[in-house]
Amino acid sequence: MKKQIITMLSVLVVGTTLLTACSGSNEGNASDPNGSSGESGSKVKLTGVVVKHPLTKPLAEMEWLQQIEEAAGVDIQWQEITADWGQKKGTMLASGDVPDLFVGPNVITDADFAQFNGLFQDMSELIEGAPNVQKMFEEKPETKQISTQRDGQIYGLAKYQRFWPDTVNRQYINQTWLDNLGLDMPTTWDELYDVLVAFKEKDANGNGDPNDEIPMDWSGGIGGFFNPAVLLGGMGITLSSDVSGQGYFVEDGKVKNFLTDDRYKELVIFLNKLYKAGLINSEVFTHDYTKLQAVARGEGDTAKVGFTWGWVASDRFGEQLAPQYASMSPLKSSSSYSGPVSWSYDSYTLNYGANNIVMSAKTKNKEAAMRFINELYKPEIGIQVLFGSIGPNIEDKGNGSYAVLPPKDTKMDPGTWKWTSTWADNGAFYISDTIDLTLGKDMQEVLTQSEPLKDALAQVDSQVDIYPGTFVKYTNEDNNAMSLNNTNVMNLANTTFAKWVTKGGIEAEWDAYVKESQKAGLDKNVEIMQKYYDEFVSKL
Amino acid sequence: MEKISPRLGGGEILFRMVLFTICALIFLMVAYPLYFIIIASVSDSTLVSTGKVLLFPKGTSLFGYGEIFKDERIWTGYRNTLFYTSVGTLVNLLFTLPAAYVLSRKEFKARKYIMFAFVFTMFFNGGLIPTYLLMKDLHLTNTPWVFIVPFSVNVFYLIIARTFFESTLPPELYEAAAIDGCSHFVYFVKVALPLSKALISVIGLYYLVGHWNDFFTALIYIRDNELKPLQIILRDILLSNQVFASGAGTGGDSGGYAQKYADQIKYGVIIVSTLPILVLYPFLQKYFEKGVMIGSIKG
Amino acid sequence: MRSVMKLGAVKRDYQLWLMILPALATIFIFNYIPMYGVQLAFRDYDFSKGLTGGEWKGLFYFQQFIESYLFSDLMRNTFFISLATIIIGFPAPIILALVLNQIRRKSFKNVMQTTVYLPHFISVIVLVGMLNVLLSPETGIVGHLMKAIGLGHINLLASSNTFIPTYVISDIWQHCGWNSIIYLAALSSVDPQLYDSSKIDGASRWQTIRYIDFPALMPTIVILFILSMGGILSTGFEKIFLMQNALNLPVSEVIATYVYKMGIVSNQFSYASAIGLFNTIINFIFLYTMNTISRRVSDTSLF
Repeated sequence: MKKQIITMLSVLVVGTTLLTACSGSNEGNASDPNGSSGESGSKVKLTGVVVKHPLTKPLAEMEWLQQIEEAAGVDIQWQEITADWGQKKGTMLASGDVPDLFVGPNVITDADFAQFNGLFQDMSELIEGAPNVQKMFEEKPETKQISTQRDGQIYGLAKYQRFWPDTVNRQYINQTWLDNLGLDMPTTWDELYDVLVAFKEKDANGNGDPNDEIPMDWSGGIGGFFNPAVLLGGMGITLSSDVSGQGYFVEDGKVKNFLTDDRYKELVIFLNKLYKAGLINSEVFTHDYTKLQAVARGEGDTAKVGFTWGWVASDRFGEQLAPQYASMSPLKSSSSYSGPVSWSYDSYTLNYGANNIVMSAKTKNKEAAMRFINELYKPEIGIQVLFGSIGPNIEDKGNGSYAVLPPKDTKMDPGTWKWTSTWADNGAFYISDTIDLTLGKDMQEVLTQSEPLKDALAQVDSQVDIYPGTFVKYTNEDNNAMSLNNTNVMNLANTTFAKWVTKGGIEAEWDAYVKESQKAGLDKNVEIMQKYYDEFVSKL
Repeated sequence: MEKISPRLGGGEILFRMVLFTICALIFLMVAYPLYFIIIASVSDSTLVSTGKVLLFPKGTSLFGYGEIFKDERIWTGYRNTLFYTSVGTLVNLLFTLPAAYVLSRKEFKARKYIMFAFVFTMFFNGGLIPTYLLMKDLHLTNTPWVFIVPFSVNVFYLIIARTFFESTLPPELYEAAAIDGCSHFVYFVKVALPLSKALISVIGLYYLVGHWNDFFTALIYIRDNELKPLQIILRDILLSNQVFASGAGTGGDSGGYAQKYADQIKYGVIIVSTLPILVLYPFLQKYFEKGVMIGSIKG
Repeated sequence: MRSVMKLGAVKRDYQLWLMILPALATIFIFNYIPMYGVQLAFRDYDFSKGLTGGEWKGLFYFQQFIESYLFSDLMRNTFFISLATIIIGFPAPIILALVLNQIRRKSFKNVMQTTVYLPHFISVIVLVGMLNVLLSPETGIVGHLMKAIGLGHINLLASSNTFIPTYVISDIWQHCGWNSIIYLAALSSVDPQLYDSSKIDGASRWQTIRYIDFPALMPTIVILFILSMGGILSTGFEKIFLMQNALNLPVSEVIATYVYKMGIVSNQFSYASAIGLFNTIINFIFLYTMNTISRRVSDTSLF
């Protein structure tokens, strides 16, 4: 009997060894052709992690990447990550088991640099051998500011993508519905209310059913992208998406938080009025993103949503319904309001990024890694990192001008095509203001639809009216304290906002809520941020 | 059981009616959502999320499956998962069952302490980083062994197995066998195991499904694409759908085109990953039939 | 005679030790060796000095958690959600197993068993996506049904009153069949003679369930119950996180989701370890107490 067990065990052991040996040798064979043992003996081998969009094709198929690896004399073995980066990063850094290069949007954060002291390469000296990076720093000093830590080290390099609009949010109303009902474009909250009532009560979309219109919709919650916080612009508050997700904004040189501001109270009262009148989607706080998008896409030519916010009409409503919608100017809170009307100003968030490429301190051949980074930051490469390779994605018109080509697959939209073809916004690159590039249809649409917001954004002084969230480097201690406080503040804000909009009661509970917010740490954060704001402004 | 047909008294008829009603209700409650997954995996996602797809698929297309199988990694993933699952489960059973048997023996003096030491690990652990460092030192990271060797004993299943041995093997049985000069090895292999087919199938199934569904090990310890199991690849595909939610903003409209079919992928992934395991269950089911154990004793 | 017996015992024991050795070894290597990491909860994490080199902070991080703004809400929510899951979710697979065991026709039984175990394989992301679609008060099938039976327009996902029931019931829906497998296996070990003789005694089926099937399940039930009490503060993370919205947040914010939102998963290793250890200790106390009670009362226990 014993024998039998032993035989069984040994068979198992031998069997498994054989199996793994087989799969082991398979891998060897499979990876060899891609490796460069034969053709490039002199190339420097590096390893890299790239955090890319899930739609993005394999890096091996990106022409521009092969070209610059060739030009820099490096052969990089990339690990391509599309999901769960946060979780992978934790163990990777803590164990010190890191690749030579990291690429991705804020792929390693300033907090990581502070915590994993010694793991990352200070590139400030290496950059002397990288003229393209230096050129970016000279032409766009902001990028140098973003890349430099409090103590002067440069661990991660910024990107600059130039073409993006000044704001994330655009406000849309269904122009066809307005025309059907003979209404004018609203300019104040009260006019908006009347329009929405008409949308609800009448058969605005003309399909014979007066009850299938959803007058107003958004993704739920307060703060963040595409939600009613932008209406605060109608009372002069300028948001910026870096910090306004948690309610922070700057006014007259003071950092404030709208969550405890009387104007926010007014907004919530207004939203509650809309909700009570049945003008807001009853599932506004519970639907997920898929449903939010699906509802706005309507049925065929029949639109369902009257008023909402989004990035661009074709994405928010689908190609078929997008022409029905008009982009709107910000609404004044009341016809008697005479102060400035503002909006959310996000140019820094959209056009700059921090820590898009980071080098490990353990990299054996740092010069080679820097050569690669230098190639990457060439402006002619930059447009390819963002929009795809010259040839399939970009047309070289000669004499230094380029044009983004429409997708090969006509069913695909240009936005998606960009993400499938290249690193796109996730990459590290510099697009100089001088390079001549004609944008694709998607970007042109975004810029056109931003036109109605121009006046509101023009009155913003981007240097002092906006919290410099992109530029500020917090100490580790402040950073931790702020994230802790923000979690508490937002827990309270989200809960009360949803309750007050759907059920009302803000008047009675407001004072207690303000006190509670302070207890949750809101004032402390405002204080911390004011300190950094003052420091930033004093250096201007 | 079937031998003696029950008398059809009033109580029995009522019992059958109640039983049938309960079963029918349970069946409907479980089966409809499963059916929904199938029709949603081939329907237009916009229609699905607006509630237009209730009983029949609408806007049918196989785009989702196309997207899933377009990913070449799927096939390597299947191969790897099959290997990790089969070898992993075998090792699990080889390590767990003898240990469970030992811990079920009342005469084994150390059992209380060992049991406590085992249960302790269900609660306290050193955390991910020390574990990762250990794996790295043992050269297990980025190898197939990381799926098989570490954690080859799941304490929860060990306890279930022990309880089963304790409650189904009559103590007299071993005493009788011992008098015949039967050692623990022999008794375990010749008597205990054959009597525990139901248990082996359950524990085996639990382990197997554990391996099959495991993505976390690969997430943390595997970097090489060639070694990735199916679940991590499907998770990548699945999460790509979620990313659309935050795709706007800096990214712009990253998913306008894929959006329409995004949910198809979501539901398709479930079907692709579950089908192979689905066919397995009926084979194991026969071991749960009543009387398997006692029958084999007598036989 | 005596010495022969003793010799036999030694021989017997050496075989037992040999059989448990592989399990002991893996548990020791992979579970006990990394356990030095527990001290992270009492130290600052300092990358350059290694896991055990950071400054000793004692109970600082525990205190930080206990004094944190949401501590009492988090404890209450976590406790209620898992208690509800145990109270309602624990008996469900037992009842299901007893019901399935009563089905006489084999083909019907097979279909039922296979169906009920399938939902286990649905990933959390998809499950929550389905809940959103099916439970929608406007467009979901459950919404339609509720309207049809006159419950009116209720958004199950949007209220702090319905969050816990929805969470628990969907959990039962998903895992009940899977968890019943273990009980079905235990039922298969019942001696058929017992059924035969009970039938001869004229026992009704209800009586067979009560006096034969249920007692056969008892040891498994007790053990699994003790273990589930050891999970009193482990609610899981992903499903709750995905089901959260601003309206149910007052009852759905639990320790795991709070920890995630603070971003300490990736950064504040010491704080995260401290919260983890705090959870673990409470869980372990519950398990230990249940185990002791059970050993006194029913003679079935883990250790």
